[in-house]
Amino acid sequence: MLRFIIRRLIITIPTILVVITITWGLIRLAPGNFYTGDKALPEAIEQNIREKYGLDEPWHEQYLRTMSHILRLDFGTSLKYEGKSVNEIIARSLPVSATVGILAYLLALIVGITVGSIAALKQNSKWDYASMTLAMLGISIPNFVLGPILVLFFSLTLYWLPPSRWDGFPSKSVILPVITLSAAYMAYIARLTRAGMLEVLRSDYIRTARSKGLSETQVVIRHALRGGLLPVVSYTGPALAFLLTGTVVVERLFVLPGLGNNFIQASLNRDEPLILGIVAFISMTLLSMNLLVDIAYGFLDPRIRH
Amino acid sequence: MARIYVKRVKQAIAGVVVGILLFTAISCRVSATNEEFFGRTVPPERNILRYVNGGEPESIDPAISSGQQEARIYMALFEGLVEYDPKSLDAIPGIAESWDVNNDSSEFVFHLRKNARWSNGEPINAHDFVYSIRRSLTPEVQSRSAGLAYPIRYAEAFNAGAMFVRDPASNQFLLNKDFAGDKLAAEALSQKPLGTNEREYESTAADPTADRETPFHQFMHSPDRLVLPGAEKARTKLLESNPKLQSAVAGKELVRVRAEDVGIEAVGDYRVRISLSESVPYFTELVAHQIFRLVPRKVIEKYGARWTDAANIVTSGAFKLKSWEPYSEVVVERNRMYWDAASVGLDEIHFYTSADHPTTMNLYKVGSADAVVNHSVPNAWLDVVRPKKDYMDAAEAAITYILINVTQPPMNDLRVRRAFNMSIDKINYSKAKKITKPLSAFTPEGIFVGYPQPKGEGFDPGAARKLLAEAGYPVTQKPDGTFQCENFPAAEVRFAFATHSSSKALAEFMQAQWKQNLGITVMLSNMESKTYMAARSKLDYKGFALGIWGADYMDPTTFLNIFRSRGGDNGSGWWDQKYVDLLEEANHTIDAQKRYALLAKAEKHMLDAQPVIPIETPAVNWVKKPYVKGLYPNPQSLFAWKFVYIERDAAKWDYGTPSLTD
Repeated sequence: MLRFIIRRLIITIPTILVVITITWGLIRLAPGNFYTGDKALPEAIEQNIREKYGLDEPWHEQYLRTMSHILRLDFGTSLKYEGKSVNEIIARSLPVSATVGILAYLLALIVGITVGSIAALKQNSKWDYASMTLAMLGISIPNFVLGPILVLFFSLTLYWLPPSRWDGFPSKSVILPVITLSAAYMAYIARLTRAGMLEVLRSDYIRTARSKGLSETQVVIRHALRGGLLPVVSYTGPALAFLLTGTVVVERLFVLPGLGNNFIQASLNRDEPLILGIVAFISMTLLSMNLLVDIAYGFLDPRIRH
Repeated sequence: MARIYVKRVKQAIAGVVVGILLFTAISCRVSATNEEFFGRTVPPERNILRYVNGGEPESIDPAISSGQQEARIYMALFEGLVEYDPKSLDAIPGIAESWDVNNDSSEFVFHLRKNARWSNGEPINAHDFVYSIRRSLTPEVQSRSAGLAYPIRYAEAFNAGAMFVRDPASNQFLLNKDFAGDKLAAEALSQKPLGTNEREYESTAADPTADRETPFHQFMHSPDRLVLPGAEKARTKLLESNPKLQSAVAGKELVRVRAEDVGIEAVGDYRVRISLSESVPYFTELVAHQIFRLVPRKVIEKYGARWTDAANIVTSGAFKLKSWEPYSEVVVERNRMYWDAASVGLDEIHFYTSADHPTTMNLYKVGSADAVVNHSVPNAWLDVVRPKKDYMDAAEAAITYILINVTQPPMNDLRVRRAFNMSIDKINYSKAKKITKPLSAFTPEGIFVGYPQPKGEGFDPGAARKLLAEAGYPVTQKPDGTFQCENFPAAEVRFAFATHSSSKALAEFMQAQWKQNLGITVMLSNMESKTYMAARSKLDYKGFALGIWGADYMDPTTFLNIFRSRGGDNGSGWWDQKYVDLLEEANHTIDAQKRYALLAKAEKHMLDAQPVIPIETPAVNWVKKPYVKGLYPNPQSLFAWKFVYIERDAAKWDYGTPSLTD
């Protein structure tokens, strides 16, 4: 197990470097600069800016300078937002994204597993059809459609919930983004749970458990659910990494000051240090989440450990 | 079994569809109710204005950004010599309580009030202004709008890191007039030696000519020094192209232009004298711009780039910074030290970040915002929102136009450019846009009072087809009545624009017009905005590109100067010495009406060459709750926040657009 973890860690570092290098290259390929706006700058002013940031140096010098900073985990300061360090921006926006992401995932887990289990246990009943139809809708309605529909109904018509903006947690402003974000995950988890449970319910050890005379509740909770949730666990890692590090669409839709919103703006602004910082952060989170999932898998299913 | 399954799925889908329809019906019914105002209209409990300000502000340092969302925040936090009038945008007293202008508008003396203080209680004096304006021009500060201060003597030279040339033998500087040839423009009064007989100022009570013998003032009143580029490459190139200059400069000393050379001087503690390099009749209005506003020297020197943090910042305006949550809001609160604090109506302003129009309008509708940024009402919403009494209906100092890349065939042919212009029905376009006015010139319609705006060519598809035929691209009519222009190289022409729903609608309209009237299909090319701006300024586009320009100050030159230089925002490749000469001549004309006539002549000259197709004068397009008073839909959407207040008595609310004239 330990060897496995070490091996995975060794692969992780070059992966991140490759990701950052590709990102750096893509930023350079994109036309325009962080200082280009709706109105052109006089040549002298543009030259002042280019000199300050060393933009006229040869590209390999710029690349080596950037990489040496990143290797020391110094992401520098934003080009667009003078005097704001990248670490500071990530530290301020991550809690917003993480709050919405974790809440959305918890909601998705609770509703998804409950609905999925009921559907599996009452296979081919009207409960099964109803929940799977809803799940199908949840997966196929994109959140940029669902979000505005919820806003139209709960904010603009009933005036119950704010249509956008972040007032911190807990507050009413959390509700719509969390529901919008969790819908697709909820639906997916429900389907995964149903499929996993159906497979497990037909397996030999469930039959053994039943023939031992265990009650149906014990069979479901102690045996079937545990095995049936394995697909959900493997889905949790990457899903949670995405949810934690910000979801671009929902953050834009509800004007949340999260990491995803910052990332999109940084790309539109051509804010190189901020883009690289966020990309490095997201890829690290994603890779470590995957690692954690692999470890968790080992605990849930002893066969994988060997 | 399978049939039952299908049936049940069908039932479920039907149920969901009915549900969605029902819910849409309820939503529509509610929003269609006939109310006086759009959405919930309840004044906030405290004197707080919640204003949706557009995109995230780049910086709170007024020297840095040129954007509108930043300008509005700067106007709350920092005051300048003068302030914009909330209705007309004319200059009204700020920290300067009065000012004197010399006879050709090339030298300005501002008299400061003695009771102005920083938010930490320290007094404000003339030296603070000298510091602030020099700082905005310092190359390292990288001000995006420093160009607006270039009329100040040697400001451009300092900002560009340029050099004077000194003769080490005589210790004299080389003068511009010895090398300018016959193109030398008339000298402004601010440059004529002091003590000449010409009368510079009208006599007034507060004599602006006192202290006129300071060494700095004498330096200003001396002929223009020769200025060479600071960068070695550019300088060598210039010298090689001009042998006379090269031999004169050889062996001389190059001296970098310093902040102390820029034409601004503190005369005593309460007078600021600014010398310009030409006459600029609109300079007092220009001085209200953010880059001339007062920033705190001590705080900047102590904290560097962190001076704008809420914990460090000291401000000069009616408000001070309370907090800044990026991508969420900037909160400013009343500055009790402000010289006119008694007339400030609001305790706080919350500037919300939201660049998305429907999101912005949602906030407004539910009553979470009291006023929203200009152009927030989407075109599709106009039929519902415009009849309401909180919709702001007024003209805007801006233009929409199409740039033409005149350097490439077939658009390098004037006849082709004219044909494309004359085949667009701009009146119909404005009807579709509902709130804009058709435009045939390059300055906005109805903004500059007394300006004899020239007219460009109107809609005439027949003449357009004739022009195309003359240019070698005959247009023929098919039996079904449609036109075609077979040998026009349509592949060489595209219409480029930056991704935005309204830009796309405009491009599609023009595309349809050209197809219908000329039989030519122009492909559209939709680009991300920075990519687009880069392509446009490098002329890296074929045919057409969309242009939108908002005034930086209230004078026609804010539009006409676009074509004064070859680069920058020109973006068409058209440049004409005669046009530049006309503008220069206008800038040295003292009589306001004659000056306007010269500017109009220049504009006509440009329109005749047709490097652009003017489309429309936009209109302001935003909403404010009726209880928000003192906020006027002025042509630049710049608001002096100190005049804004919350009115709780519904009888005194604004029902309809407040008047900009009385």
